[in-house]
Amino acid sequence: MATDTIVLPGDTISSDVLPTSSSSSQSLRLGPGLRLVPPSTITSAVAGSLRVDQKKNAIWVENNGGRYIPQPNDLIIATVHHSSTDVYHCSITPHTQFAQLPQLAFEGATKKTRPQLNSGSLIYARVLSASKHLDPEIVCYNPSTGKSEGMGELKGGMVFDVSLGMARRLLLAKQREDGGIAVLEEIAEKLAFEIAVGRNGKVWVKSAGVKETLLVGKAMQETDTQGLGIDEQVKLVKKLLRQL
Amino acid sequence: MPREAEPSINERAFILQALQENIRLDGRSLEAYRELNISFGEEYGVADVQLGKTRVLTRISSSITAPYPDRKFDGVFTITTELSPIASPAFEVGRPSDLETHLIRTLETTLRRSSALSTESLCLLAGTAVWSLRADVHILDHDGNLIDCACLATLAALRHYRIPDTSVSGGELTVYSVDERDPVPLALLHHPLCVTLNYFEGGEKVVVDAARVEEQCAEGEVVVGANPQGEVCLMQKGGGGEVDAVVLLRCVDLAVAKVRELGKVVDQALVEDAKRRDKGGMSRELQAENAR
Repeated sequence: MATDTIVLPGDTISSDVLPTSSSSSQSLRLGPGLRLVPPSTITSAVAGSLRVDQKKNAIWVENNGGRYIPQPNDLIIATVHHSSTDVYHCSITPHTQFAQLPQLAFEGATKKTRPQLNSGSLIYARVLSASKHLDPEIVCYNPSTGKSEGMGELKGGMVFDVSLGMARRLLLAKQREDGGIAVLEEIAEKLAFEIAVGRNGKVWVKSAGVKETLLVGKAMQETDTQGLGIDEQVKLVKKLLRQL
Repeated sequence: MPREAEPSINERAFILQALQENIRLDGRSLEAYRELNISFGEEYGVADVQLGKTRVLTRISSSITAPYPDRKFDGVFTITTELSPIASPAFEVGRPSDLETHLIRTLETTLRRSSALSTESLCLLAGTAVWSLRADVHILDHDGNLIDCACLATLAALRHYRIPDTSVSGGELTVYSVDERDPVPLALLHHPLCVTLNYFEGGEKVVVDAARVEEQCAEGEVVVGANPQGEVCLMQKGGGGEVDAVVLLRCVDLAVAKVRELGKVVDQALVEDAKRRDKGGMSRELQAENAR
């Protein structure tokens, strides 16, 4: 579609915007930000641009919200606050309930060989379940494969805050085409660094030294707050690398 | 539930390691303040100060009351602070936290007990009527260094405020309204400001104007209140790790230099505000004084 439809909370989605299902057996999938009012009215619950995917027969609303709400299967960066008998209590977002991380929820962990996480450690985990009434539950392995896939304790490095929309764009498979983010690729040509992106708006960066880590973090935050396009991002990276 | 996010082990280690190389997270030097913006409201006595992401608004208001019976010749000057959840979710309404008590004690000592404002000048009729000046400090955003920001806002508001003109003849007090006579500035004897210094590694590294995450990782803080003439009116080190006396002296020197810089910024902001109000240069024409 050429132009994006902007929707506000409470707007009804008209049927001409909905994707025409080629196979009528495939039901329409509602993504985040939409609610079904029975029998067949779809209303938007958040403000943002409406996106339609013909192939998957799905519609959703893209919105850059301020507060992260845990969704199942999201990868997040959490901080361990304290531990009790079987469970670590971790904070995903400040000022909310703690999420529970079972102490055995790591790849190949048994009662004898469980990892020791201290209060204040950073972990990269996946949200298993999250509902309004219960504490969210997180695990450090992929529930379907059982492998850790990079999750677990993050050692060293530094954590930077980015907006939720930026975190989502960073997690796309094709950052440059779909998300319009070229900073990380540009920096990677000159510097070596490790990075972990959490959907809750936190990015963990680890590089050779303090200056390099700060450079990566600052480049991402500038791209986020200023809303830079791809060319401007390239220019920003060049400027920062020169100052190094 | 108000529970502020504590920095993780990684962040703490990173900040300390960066300080070893004299680097701060936002790239400024150890002794640099964040970007300082002072703006005044349409009314006299409203100052909005932004120090990086920390933002404080102070409002001065006045009324006439009876003086305290043991201080018949002094006016009343009270400072009240409000730390509401608008500033940070860690604040609760109605319950004064330790930070609030610390803030208000520091402001009181620096601005009230140092006689920055001459309370005798607020006296109208001895024993009967005095001005009661009230400074309401509203914290709008908390990203570290509330004390310096609040002190800047309160001092700027005090210097900006105009109190109604009065005259006393034969025991009768006349208060002139804005239409009758221009309000007059307050009698400030000196302009004290506070500088908060956070120290790491037992005083080896001293950092001025810490952001919230730097404050949370610091070993302790020293608050110095001084005026641009170099007179120190407050020195506070509440808890924290132990430091050498030499470090404290260094902190005081650094703080006095910073107060001079900050004082100049406040002067500049007041001059610009006066220019903005005085469009067309008419205020010189409208003055009742003649040049002799």
